Parts: sequence; C-alpha cells; structure tokens
Amino acid sequence: MSAGTDELFGVDEAVHAEVMAEAERIKALGEAAEREARDPVNQPTINNWLEAMGYDDPRWKAGEAPPSMAQVWTMYGLGGKPPADDPLHGMMRVLTDAGFTAVLGTNCEQEYVRTLRVGEQVRVTTALESVVGPKRTGMGVGYFVTSRNTWYVGDEVVATMLFRVLKFVPRSKETTA
Amino acid sequence: MTTTLLEPGTTLPEWSVPLTPTIIVSTAIATRDFQDVHHDRDIAQAAGSKDVFMNILTSTAFVERYVNDWVRAETGEGAVVKGIAIRLGAPAYPYDTLTFTGSVESVEDGVAVLKVTGSVSLGDHVIGTVKVAV
Repeated sequence: MSAGTDELFGVDEAVHAEVMAEAERIKALGEAAEREARDPVNQPTINNWLEAMGYDDPRWKAGEAPPSMAQVWTMYGLGGKPPADDPLHGMMRVLTDAGFTAVLGTNCEQEYVRTLRVGEQVRVTTALESVVGPKRTGMGVGYFVTSRNTWYVGDEVVATMLFRVLKFVPRSKETTA
Repeated sequence: MTTTLLEPGTTLPEWSVPLTPTIIVSTAIATRDFQDVHHDRDIAQAAGSKDVFMNILTSTAFVERYVNDWVRAETGEGAVVKGIAIRLGAPAYPYDTLTFTGSVESVEDGVAVLKVTGSVSLGDHVIGTVKVAV
C-alpha cells in the first residue's frame, strides 16, 4: 500500500471502521447467493442478442452461445431482485447506508473456460473479493467494491467474472459525508 | 489457422457503430439488463445523466464482436475468445458514435492478447484486453 493509506478524505473514522468490518464479514461468506438461470441456454435468447448486437457467426446458430453471453443467462430479469444474502448487494447496501449513495461500474473482467451449449443449465455464485478505500476520485470520495461471479454447469466452472464498482459520495454532496 | 494473423503489432481495422436509442435499448434488453437508466430517458436524466446509456454487458459484447468479426473476415473462422477484461470510461449515449481500434499485443503459450479501445466523442468508453486462443 502506498503512502496515504490512512488518509480518509473526510470520511468519519467510525464510518470507515464499520465499512471495513462489514466488508470482512461479507468476504468471509465466500461463494454465496447461488442461483439458477431462469432458462437453459437457448437459441431464441441467443438470436435476440445477435440481432441487437448486429453480430453474425454460424457457430452461434449451431448449438454454441457467444462467450460474452455467459452473464446474460443469470441476469435477474425485469423486477428481479438479488437474494438477501447476496454479497455484492449486501456490501452496496452497507455503503449506501453510510452515505456513499452513487455507483459507477469501473471494471469487468470475464474469463471463459469454454463456450456454453444450447440446453445447458447454468448457475452462478457471488463472492465479495475486496473493498478498497476510501479513495478520492474524479467522481467523488468512495470505495472500490470488487465481486467475483463463478458460473457452473453441474460442478464444472464454465466462466468467471471480476466486477468492480465505485460506490461514492457525489462531489456536490461531499460536505455531508 | 489464426497463427499468422495473431502476431504482435498487427492492427485491426477501425470499426464504428453509430449509436441510436434503438441500439442502446435493444442491446440492454437483449442482455436481460432491465435497469431503467438503459431504456428510460426521463429516469436517466433525473439521475443526472444526459440520456440513456449503454450497459456494461453490451460494451463487452461489442468488444467480442469486433475481435470475432475481424478474425472471421481474415480466416473464415471465428475467434476462440477466452477472456474479455474491460475498463469503463466515458458513457456511450445515443447519437454518438462508438469507434473501435485494436492491436495484437502479445502471443504467448497459445494465447494472443489484444488491446481494444472503443471511443466516443467524450473520450474512451471502453478499454479492453481480449484473450484469444491461437
């Protein structure tokens, strides 16, 4: 860690301690909030995605799904909500309650072990990887929250994703943090 | 088959996507992302955004398409994409243009690493690192 690790950028010490304690508690849950995709990997969903992206490759009409669709299968859907024990949303709630109300996606790193095949049933787990901060950014003071998703078919890992967001106090509201 | 194509220093031809409200909305829905800021301009503007904006799954998808289309055009077969890591920058709004450039950075242990940048008028929207099996 560099110099300035202890700099809190105006964040109350007790608030910071609470945020980091909650981060440790949620990290210790490990892979949690496991859930099944609503539907198996299917051609109509692939076709809708290909049309929207204007993307064409005969492989995606012959039983394989495009790799970057991995996350699509386990999206919550319209009106869907994360389960109460979801590590990412749990951590977001902690930060929202602490005044870090705004959110901005900063990094998304997906690894594909193999392409998924039509008919496969996918499930996903979520783990909290790290909470780093507070940091002063161009957007405002906040914490970087990194979660890790792991997608499975049966017991086989088929894809993973590290997703990082900045949870921050918008600059105009910083005085109230 | 792609070993001669995927050599360090090779650059990909530029590719532009004119962004329309239809593209922003249809791609968000096709990725099953129903967050209102990707399809409801009133809500997006109330939240301080200029307009609806592209969702992250679509930024990743366009990076995949850019690399796959190029490999397929050059070799007749699509790429075997093993990973896409993106860093997000400026939002991609309707009526802007998303322009991709890219190059092969390295080839090691059977994996080519490509650097891909998607820019809009406000700056870099997405900076991606794509791993392709050789």
